[in-house]
Amino acid sequence: MDFAWSDQQRELLNAVGRFASQQLNYDVIENDREGIFNHEAWKKCGDFGIQGLLVPTDYGGLGTTVAALERLGYACRDNGLLFSINAHMWTAIIPLVYNGSEAQKKKYLPGLCNGTLIGGNAMSEPNSGSDAFSLTTTAIKKGSRYILNGSKIFVTNGPIADLLVVFATVDKTRGTDGISAFLVEKNSPGMNVARKLEKMGLRTSPMAEVFFENCEVPEENLLGKEGGGAFLFTRSMTWERGCILASAVGSMQRLLETCIRYANERKQGGQSIGKYQLVASKIVDMKVRVESSRHMLYYYGWLSGHRKSVYLEAAMTKLHIADCWVKCSEDAIQIHGGYGYMTEYEVERELRDAIASKLYSGTSEIQRNIVASMLGL
Amino acid sequence: MKILVPFKSVPDPNDATFAGEAASASKSVINPFDEIAIEEALRIRERGEATEIVGVTIGAPSVDEQIRAALAMGVDRAIRIDDARALDPYAVARILRAVVEKEAPHVVIMGKQAVDDDSNQVGQILAGLLGWPQATFVSSIEFLDNKTRARCTRETDAGLEVVELDLPAIITTDLRLNEPRYVSLPGLIRARRKPIEVLTCDQVGVNVRPLTTVLAVARPPKRPAGTRVESVEELITKLKQEAKVI
Amino acid sequence: MAESLVLIEHDRQQVKRSSLHAITLAQQLGGEYELLVIGHVVNKISSSLVSLGATSVIVADDPALAEPLADRYATVIAEAVRKSGAKNILGTSSTFSKDILPRAAALLDAPMVTDVVAIEQMDGSISYRRPINAGSMFAKVKVEGERRVLTVRAAAFETPAANAAPCPIVRFDVDAESLPNGMRFISREERKSDRPDLTEARVVVSGGRPLKDKETFERLVGGLADALGGAIGATRAAVDAGMAPNDYQIGQTGKVVAPELYIALGISGAIQHLAGIKDSRIIVAINKDPDAPICQTATYFLVGDLYQIVPQLIESIRRA
Repeated sequence: MDFAWSDQQRELLNAVGRFASQQLNYDVIENDREGIFNHEAWKKCGDFGIQGLLVPTDYGGLGTTVAALERLGYACRDNGLLFSINAHMWTAIIPLVYNGSEAQKKKYLPGLCNGTLIGGNAMSEPNSGSDAFSLTTTAIKKGSRYILNGSKIFVTNGPIADLLVVFATVDKTRGTDGISAFLVEKNSPGMNVARKLEKMGLRTSPMAEVFFENCEVPEENLLGKEGGGAFLFTRSMTWERGCILASAVGSMQRLLETCIRYANERKQGGQSIGKYQLVASKIVDMKVRVESSRHMLYYYGWLSGHRKSVYLEAAMTKLHIADCWVKCSEDAIQIHGGYGYMTEYEVERELRDAIASKLYSGTSEIQRNIVASMLGL
Repeated sequence: MKILVPFKSVPDPNDATFAGEAASASKSVINPFDEIAIEEALRIRERGEATEIVGVTIGAPSVDEQIRAALAMGVDRAIRIDDARALDPYAVARILRAVVEKEAPHVVIMGKQAVDDDSNQVGQILAGLLGWPQATFVSSIEFLDNKTRARCTRETDAGLEVVELDLPAIITTDLRLNEPRYVSLPGLIRARRKPIEVLTCDQVGVNVRPLTTVLAVARPPKRPAGTRVESVEELITKLKQEAKVI
Repeated sequence: MAESLVLIEHDRQQVKRSSLHAITLAQQLGGEYELLVIGHVVNKISSSLVSLGATSVIVADDPALAEPLADRYATVIAEAVRKSGAKNILGTSSTFSKDILPRAAALLDAPMVTDVVAIEQMDGSISYRRPINAGSMFAKVKVEGERRVLTVRAAAFETPAANAAPCPIVRFDVDAESLPNGMRFISREERKSDRPDLTEARVVVSGGRPLKDKETFERLVGGLADALGGAIGATRAAVDAGMAPNDYQIGQTGKVVAPELYIALGISGAIQHLAGIKDSRIIVAINKDPDAPICQTATYFLVGDLYQIVPQLIESIRRA
C-alpha cells in the first residue's frame, strides 16, 4: 500500500482545492441562515467536474476520488452544498452506473455527471427510517406503467431534483423481495414535492417531503429489476457510507488549522491560550481524530479497489468519522470560547452540520449493528 | 488562424504569504493577465476564428504545473523554453521573438503585465522587435476582413480608445477583457495527453542576456497604525486640526 | 549633447501636467535635457514648455502623428534620441508612455525600468528603486547599456519649477512616408469632467462595491468629492460592477495616486488596491467592518454604515 501521491494526483487535488476555495465560499453565512441552496456553486462544480468524479475510470480510481472529496471539504466551507453533491453522487449516479439500462444511462448519466441534472433518492418514510425495508410506498403495474402511492420524508435535494430514485414495493407480501427502485422525473403527474423541511444544520442543502398520489411512472423507468431494490439500495449505501464523510475529513482539517491559529493568536493571562494544556490537549485530540479518520478513509478507498465486499469497512468508516467530526466541532467551539458561539466566526455552524452525520446514511446505531453482526455477534 | 499565448508562472497573488517571501512551487499560478489572454484565445477558437492555440513560457521544470494548467484550460500544445535564469523584459521579449519566428502565429495575445514584476513592457518590446502592430490594455478584440485585421478597444487613463491593427500583431490584455474559466478536472486529464515541447534558447536560435540586475528587494516602511474615530464630528475635527488637510 | 530626452504627454489641447514630473528625474540624473512633443498642431503645447529648464523643446509635428499610434510614435522617438544623443529617455508612467516607450526601447536596443520612484548614485553607477508585487515590495535595480528608458511614478517626483529662461523650440522633421502604417486610430471615448484629474488632485474620494450602483456611487462618492473639491476613484470591484468607468480605477493595474487626502468608502483594502494609494499623506477609511485590512493602513478609520455617515460628512463639510 503506497501512501504517496503521484504528481498527477497532487495536481488534481491542488486544482480541486484552488477551485473550491475561490468559487464555492460566497455568502455561506447568509445562505445558511436563510436556508438557500447555492445553484451557481452547484453549476460551477458541474462545469469543473466534481459531479463527474465517479464515472470516468482514468481519475486514478476511488482512492483519488475520496482524496478529492476530502480536499473539497477542506477548501469549501459550505457543508450543505457538499452534502447535496454527495447525495446526488451516491444515491442517483451510483445506482444508475450499476443498474441502469443502456437507455437509462444514456438519458440521465451525462446530465447527472455534468451537474445540469440534479439527482437524489426517496427512501425514508414517516414510519420507516432505520427500518428502511419496511417501507409502504407501493408501485402497482398497470399496463405499461407503474402507479406509485405513498409518502417519502427527508428527501435530500427534493425541492431541486430533476430525477429521484424512488424505492417502492411492487408486492407487499414478498417483503424485502418486493422492493424496487424507480427513476422518477420531477413534475411527474401525481408527484408532489411538498414544503421544504427546515433543519438544524446543512441548511444550504434543500430537503423536502414528497408525496406520490397515483403517480404514473413509465415501465422503462424501473431501475434494475422488480424486487432488486433492496440489493441496489444496500450496494449504493455501502459506497455512500464509505465516502460521504470524505469531505468531513477535510472540514476537520480546516477546523484544526483554525483552532491552532486562534490558539496562537488569542492571548489571555499574558500568553497565547495554546500554551495552556487544557486547550492544547483538545487540539491534540482533534489532530489525532483527523489522522485516524483520514487513514480509515484512504484505506477504505484502497480496499474497495482490491476486494469485493467492503460492507464492514464502510460501516466502520462512517461510524468513526461521524463521531470524530462531531467531537472536533464541539472542541472547536470550546477553544474559541464566546467567539465560537457567534455565527460570524463560522465555527458553530460546523457542529450543527456535523451532528447530521450521525443520522444520515444509516444512524451511528445502525452502523454499530452492522459491525456487530459482521463480527459474528 | 494560429494564436500564440506567452504566459508566465508567478507566485499566487491571492496567497497571504505572497508579498515577498519565497513562494513554493505549489503556490504558483499562471499570471492572471496571461490567463485572461488564454481565455480570450479559447473564445476566439470557440467562435470558429482560430484553429490552433500554442502556449509558450520560459522557466525551469518547476513551471510545468502552470503549463499543464494552461493545457487543461484548452491550449492545444505548449512550449517551455528551458531557462532558469532571472530574466528581465529585455531578455524575455527577445527569447519570445525567436519563438514567434519559429511558430509564425497570426496573432500573439498576452497579459499586459506580470503581477510580480509589474513592468508592463514585454508585449510592446516584442512588437517593436518584430515591427508588428500592437494594441495594449485591450478590453475587447474583434477580427475583421477575413481575419486580416483586428479591431481592439483599449483602456486608457482618459477612458477608451479603439484602434485597428493589420495582422500579424501583438495584443496585450487588460482585466476586463474576459473572466477566465477555471481548469476543469476533465481538462486536466485531457491535458496529460497534450504535448509539451522543451527547447533551449540555443535551439530556437537566441542568445541573450538580461541587462537588468536586481540589487536588493525590501518591504517599504509600514504606515503607522491608524486611529479609530467614533463619529463624523471627531473625524472632521481630526482632519482639520491634527492632519490639517481640510 | 543632452543627457536626457523627456517625452511630454498632451491631450491634443494642453500638456498633461503629470508628464512634467519626469523632468525632475532628468534634473536629478544631471546634465542637459530636452523635451519631446509629438503630435499635430501642437504649437500652443510646445510654447508652454519653454521655461522648464530644457535646452530645447523638440517638436515632431505631422498629420501622420495626430493620434498616438505606438508604432509611429516609437519610431519618431527612436530617431529623435539618435539625433539628440541622449542616454536617458524619460517619461511619466501613464497608459500613453507605457504603450509607446517599451517599443521605443526595443528600437534603441535599450533596457527599460518602469515606475521609478527614486534613484541612488553609487560609485559611478545609478540604481533605480521601483515597486514590484503590487507595491508590497520595492526593488533596487541597475541596468547596463549605452542608453536606458525610464518611466517615473508621478507621485514620487515633484513638479519641476517653471521659471527658467525660455529655450528654443526645434522642429524635428518627420518623413511621414517612412512611418509604419499597420495601425489606425478609429475613435476614443473620454469623459470631460469638471473635477480635477485623478492623478493630480489634492483630495481623492474612492468607492468600493458596497456603493450598490452607478447612481448611488455618484451621489455619495461624487457628492463627497465635490464637497471637498476632489477627484473620484474606484476599486476594481466597483468598476467591474459597472458603478464607475475604468478610468476611475485605482490600484496595481489602474492608477496610482498620492493625494494629500484619500477617503475610502466601503473599500476593504485588498493588496492590489492599496498598491495604488500607499503614498497618500492622509488615508481615511469608512467601513462597516473594523477588521477590514484598510483599517491597518488608514490614518483614521470610522466604523459604521456609510449610507448614514457620508451624507452627514457632506453636510458637515458644506457647513464648515
